Amino acid sequence: MEKIKNGALWVFCEVQGDALLPVGLQLLGRAKTLAAESNRPLYAIVLGKIPQGGAELLGASGADEVICSDGPAMKDKLEQPYADCLIALAKQYQPDILLVGATPFGRAFAPRVAAALGTGLTADCTELSIEEESGLLLQTRPAFGGNMMATIKTATQRPQMATVRPGVLPLPEPAETTIREPIMIPYNEAAGLARLLKETAITKGADISQSKIIVAAGRGIGQKKNLKLVQALADKLGGQVGASRPLVDMGFCPYSSQIGQTGYSVAPDLLICCGISGAVQHLAGIGGAKKVIAINTDPKAPIFAVADYQIVGDCVTVLEHLLQELDK
Amino acid sequence: MKIIVCMKQVPAAATASIDPLTKTIVRTGRNAVTNPFDLHALQAALDIRKQAEGTVTAITMGIPAAEKVLRDAIARGANDGAILSDRAFAGSDTLATSYALSLGVEKLGGADLIVCGKMAVDGDTAQIGPELAQHLGIPHVSDVCEILEAAEDHLVVRREWDDAEQEVYLPLPALITVAKGKNLPQLPTIGGMLRGRAAEIAVYTAEALQADVARCGLKGSPTQVVRTFTPPVRGQAQAVEGNEQQQAEKLAMIIQEVLYGKD
Amino acid sequence: MEQTLIRTVVSADEEYLRDESKKVGHAESISFPETHAQVCQIMAQLYETGTPVTVQGSRTGLAAAAVPFGGHVLNLSRMDKVLGMRQENDRFYITVQPGVILQKLNKSIAARSFNTDAWDEAAQETYKAFTKTPVQMFTPDPTESTAAIGGMVACNASGARSYHYGPTRRHINAIRGVLADGRTIALRRGEIFAKGLELKLQTEEGSSVTVQLPTYNMPKCKNASGYYCHENMDAIDLLIGSDGTLAVMTEIEISLLPTPALTWGVTAFFPDQYKAVAYTKQVRGIDQGIAAIEYFDSCALDILRKQKAENTAFAGLPFLPEEYGCAVYTELHCDSEEQAYALLENLGGYCAQAGGNPDMTWVATSDSDRDMLHFFRHAVPESVNMQVERSKRNYPEITKVGGDLAVPDECFETLLALYDSTLEAEGLQHAAWGHIGDNHIHVNILPRDMDEYSRGKALLARWAAEVSRMGGAVSAEHGVGKLKAPFLEVMYGAEHIREMAALKAAFDPKCMLGRGNLFAPQQEVVE
Repeated sequence: MEKIKNGALWVFCEVQGDALLPVGLQLLGRAKTLAAESNRPLYAIVLGKIPQGGAELLGASGADEVICSDGPAMKDKLEQPYADCLIALAKQYQPDILLVGATPFGRAFAPRVAAALGTGLTADCTELSIEEESGLLLQTRPAFGGNMMATIKTATQRPQMATVRPGVLPLPEPAETTIREPIMIPYNEAAGLARLLKETAITKGADISQSKIIVAAGRGIGQKKNLKLVQALADKLGGQVGASRPLVDMGFCPYSSQIGQTGYSVAPDLLICCGISGAVQHLAGIGGAKKVIAINTDPKAPIFAVADYQIVGDCVTVLEHLLQELDK
Repeated sequence: MKIIVCMKQVPAAATASIDPLTKTIVRTGRNAVTNPFDLHALQAALDIRKQAEGTVTAITMGIPAAEKVLRDAIARGANDGAILSDRAFAGSDTLATSYALSLGVEKLGGADLIVCGKMAVDGDTAQIGPELAQHLGIPHVSDVCEILEAAEDHLVVRREWDDAEQEVYLPLPALITVAKGKNLPQLPTIGGMLRGRAAEIAVYTAEALQADVARCGLKGSPTQVVRTFTPPVRGQAQAVEGNEQQQAEKLAMIIQEVLYGKD
Repeated sequence: MEQTLIRTVVSADEEYLRDESKKVGHAESISFPETHAQVCQIMAQLYETGTPVTVQGSRTGLAAAAVPFGGHVLNLSRMDKVLGMRQENDRFYITVQPGVILQKLNKSIAARSFNTDAWDEAAQETYKAFTKTPVQMFTPDPTESTAAIGGMVACNASGARSYHYGPTRRHINAIRGVLADGRTIALRRGEIFAKGLELKLQTEEGSSVTVQLPTYNMPKCKNASGYYCHENMDAIDLLIGSDGTLAVMTEIEISLLPTPALTWGVTAFFPDQYKAVAYTKQVRGIDQGIAAIEYFDSCALDILRKQKAENTAFAGLPFLPEEYGCAVYTELHCDSEEQAYALLENLGGYCAQAGGNPDMTWVATSDSDRDMLHFFRHAVPESVNMQVERSKRNYPEITKVGGDLAVPDECFETLLALYDSTLEAEGLQHAAWGHIGDNHIHVNILPRDMDEYSRGKALLARWAAEVSRMGGAVSAEHGVGKLKAPFLEVMYGAEHIREMAALKAAFDPKCMLGRGNLFAPQQEVVE
C-alpha cells in the first residue's frame, strides 16, 4: 500500500446503520485546513462496511485518501474489535494525528486505541488548531461542566489523539474529488469475545428530560385550546411539549410534561417558553437548556433573565404567526 | 465472582459555577466526595453480587485522604478497599492513571469483573474504563445502564445511546463502565458507616506495585494543559422587537439558525 | 405616576388569586411595587377608599393568608433585592426585601455571592469580610424552599431545623414596614419594649401608635397561632407572625449563623409509630448536635412507594423495602467527625432498642445523598398535593385538609392515639409527617369527594378543640391565615379574640390589611 504515507492526519469516520455519521464529515472539513497548515496528507478511515458512495463523499469532504478496513471481527460494532483493528492500522502506518468523533461509540472505543499506542487522548474537544511554532495539534475542550475551557497538546507521543464533539464544526462544502473507491485493507482477526445480542434504534419516548427540542407552555397560554398551537410548533420542530406546573395542576397537561422543581429537569438544545413567567420552581428545571427563547406579555417576567431571546408579546398571537411563517 | 470497582474522589461541587466577581470556580460543598457515576458503578456491582455470590472491592488512586471514598464504598456495602497512593502518581492523565489502576488490579490478584463509572465529573473524559480494559487485555462495554443477567462466566448488559439501544453478551473477565440507569445508588446505613470507619484500607505505593515510574504521574502523561480560560457567559437576552407578525418572522429565522445553523 | 402602580385585575392574573392552600379568591386591583416608597404610595392611595389589601410573597403558604377576597392584591414578588449586609460581634446580618426567595438567598449565602452594586460602602466592606469567613447559614428551613422571606416572617415559619434553632422569629433582627395609611415604622430587636402590656411605637413620620397587648398566655409548645404577646415584650416580635394584618413589611434584616462543619442525615425505620416515638424520646435526650427530628408515617411511605413505581419523576427516590413501616429522620450538626460518629453510634443503639435495625437505615453525609433525602422529604407533601389536585378536578371546592397542631411533651402520645382512633372511625385516607421532635406532626386528610371533605374538616375542628384543651397550638408553623381562623377562637376564646381585634384596630383602623386572616369574617372589626 504505497499510497498510504506515514505521518498523516487521520479522521475516523463512523458508520451507523448504513450511513456515515455527519461528525466524520465535519471533522474532515476542519482537518483539511489543519492538514494544509501542517503539510500532512489527510486520510478518512472507515472500519467495517463502507456505505455505497461513502468514499466519494469523504473525498468530497476533504480526504486525500479513504482507507477502509473490514473483516469478520467487524460484524458487531463493539469497542474491542474496532479498537484492535484501528490499533493494527495505526501501528502499520504511523499517523501523526488521529481524530475521532466524540459520539458515544467514539468515546467508548478510542481510549483503547490511545492506551495501546501509549499516547494521550483529549476527550470531547470543541476546537482544534495547529500551534504555529511547533506544528502540534492544540485541542480545546470544556472542563468543570463547561465552566472552564482547557487547551491541551500531546508533545511527545504519536499519534496526537482527540475525540471531537459532534455539531460544533460546520459541514464542509463538497469539493471536486477523484476518489471513487476506498483503499481496502483486509482485517483477518477472529471476532471479539463480546457479542451484540440485539440492537434497536431508539425512538424518543414521552420523557421530556431527554428531549432536544421543547416547546413549553405556561399560564399565559390562556385557554386549553391554545395548546394546539404549542403542539403544532413542537411537531413542526420535531420536539416535545412541556408545561409549567399551573397547567398541570389545572389538568391542561399531563404530569409527564411538567418542567420544574417538582417535575422534570430538562436540557434541550432549544427551549421555547410560551407564556411562562418563570417562577423559581420552574427555573429550577431548565438550567441545562442551551438556547432559551421566551415569549411573555410581561417585560419584567423572570423568565427573561434566563432567556437568550426575549419576545415581549402575547404568545398565542406570536405562535399563530410563527406557525404560518415556518410553513413558508 | 470477584468484582473490583474503580472510584475517584472529586470536588464536591460538580456543577461548579463561576463567581462573577473573582471569575474563579465557586465551590459550595466544603468536602471532596465520591464521583457520582462511581456510586452508580458501585450499586451495579452490589446488585451483581446479590445475583452471583462474590465480593466487591473498591479501589482508588489519589492522595491519602482519598481513602474516604473507599470507606464510603464500604459504608454502602463494599467488602473492602485499596488505595494506590504515591507522589509518583501525581499529575496523571488518563493514560498514566489507567496504567496505575491496571497494576492495582493485578496486585489484588485480578478480578472477574471490573466496574467503573461512566466518567468522572471533574474530568468528563470517560476514558479510564476503556483504557484500563485495554491495559488488562480484556473486553469492555461502556455506558451500561442495566445488568440483564449476571452469571459466573458472563454478563448480559444493556446500554442506551442517543440513537440506539444495545444488549451485549460479555464473557468474563471483562470491564463495564456504568451510566446512570437502573442502578440508583442506595444510601449507606448506620451499621455500614461504622464498619467503613473501622475498616483496614490497603495502601499500595508505586514501589509496591512495581510500577515503571516513567509511565506514572506527570512523567507518564503524554497530554499537557497549555492554558485554561473561562468561556463567555450567557449575556442579557436579545430582544426581538416589532409587532407580533414581525416578531414571528424574526423568531422563525432564529429557530432555523439555532436548530440547523450549526451543521 | 400614581395611577400606574395600581391596575385592574385581568384574567391573566388568575394565579395571584390563589396560593399553595389551593383556595381561590377574587380581587379588583393588583400592584407589583419594587420599593418601600412605592408601597407607601400604594397604601396611602388605597387608604383613601379603605380598600382591603391582601399582601403576597411567593404564595407558598398553606393557610390561604395570601388569597384575596375582594379589594387589592399587593404582590411583593418584585421586591426581591438583597439590600445590604452588616457585621456586629462576629455575627452577620443581611437586609432583604420581602420578595427575596429563600432558596435563592440560601444559594447566595452558601456561595458567598451577592450583587453588591447598589450597596453602600459600609455594606460592601462587610461583604469583603463575609467572603473570607467560614460559610454562614440562615437556619429557618420550611419544606417549601421557594417561600419568600416576607411570607416566612409573616407566619413565623419554621422547618425541620427549628427543633434546634427555633422558628424564623429567632433570626429576624429588624423590620421596616408600611402601615395601612402609608406611614412607616421601623423596629429593631432590643430597642423598643412594651411596658407591661402597653406598647408605644413611633412612625418615621413622627406620629405614634399605642396599642394594648392581649392578656392571654401563649401555649408552652411550638406556636404560630395569633399575635405573639407577653408582658414587656420586644415590639418587633409583634409584627413577626402577624399574618399580614398589621403592616406591610418592606425591609427585613435577618441574622446568620456559621454553618456546622458537618451536616449528616440519619433516617431510621420502625414497624409502628409508638416505636418511632420511643426512639424520638431517646434522641431528644441527646443534648448536643441534634438539629432536627422528623417523622413520616406508614401512609406517607406507602404514597412514596406508589409514586416511585408509577411516576418517572419520582424514580430518584431511594428504594423503600416493604418492612420499613414508618420513619424518623434525624439531622446531625456537628463540629467534628468524632462527634458525628459518636452520635451515629448512639442512634444505632437507640434504633435497635426501639425495635429498628441499624443495618436498615439511611445515612446521608454528602451533598448528593442529602439531596436524595431532601427529595424524599419534599416528595411527601408534593405527592399529597398531587392527590388533592386530582380530587379537585372533580370537586373544585376541595382544598387540602391538613393539621398543623402541636402539644406539650406529655400530651403527644394521647394526641397520636386520638388521630388513630378518629381517622379509623371516619375511614378517611390520610398521611402524616412532620416535626415529631416538637410534638408537631401534620396529619393530612386526602378527601376523594365532598362528603369526605366535609367530614375531614369536621375532624380537623374536633382535633383543634382537643389540642386547645391539652394546652397546645392550633397552628404551630403555617400561620392561621384564613383557613385556621375559626380554630383561633377555639384556642383562645372570644374575649381574647376581641383583644386581638382591638390591637389590630390600633394599627389598621379601617381593617384593610389581610382581611379574613386571623379573624374569621364574623369577628372582623367593623368601624
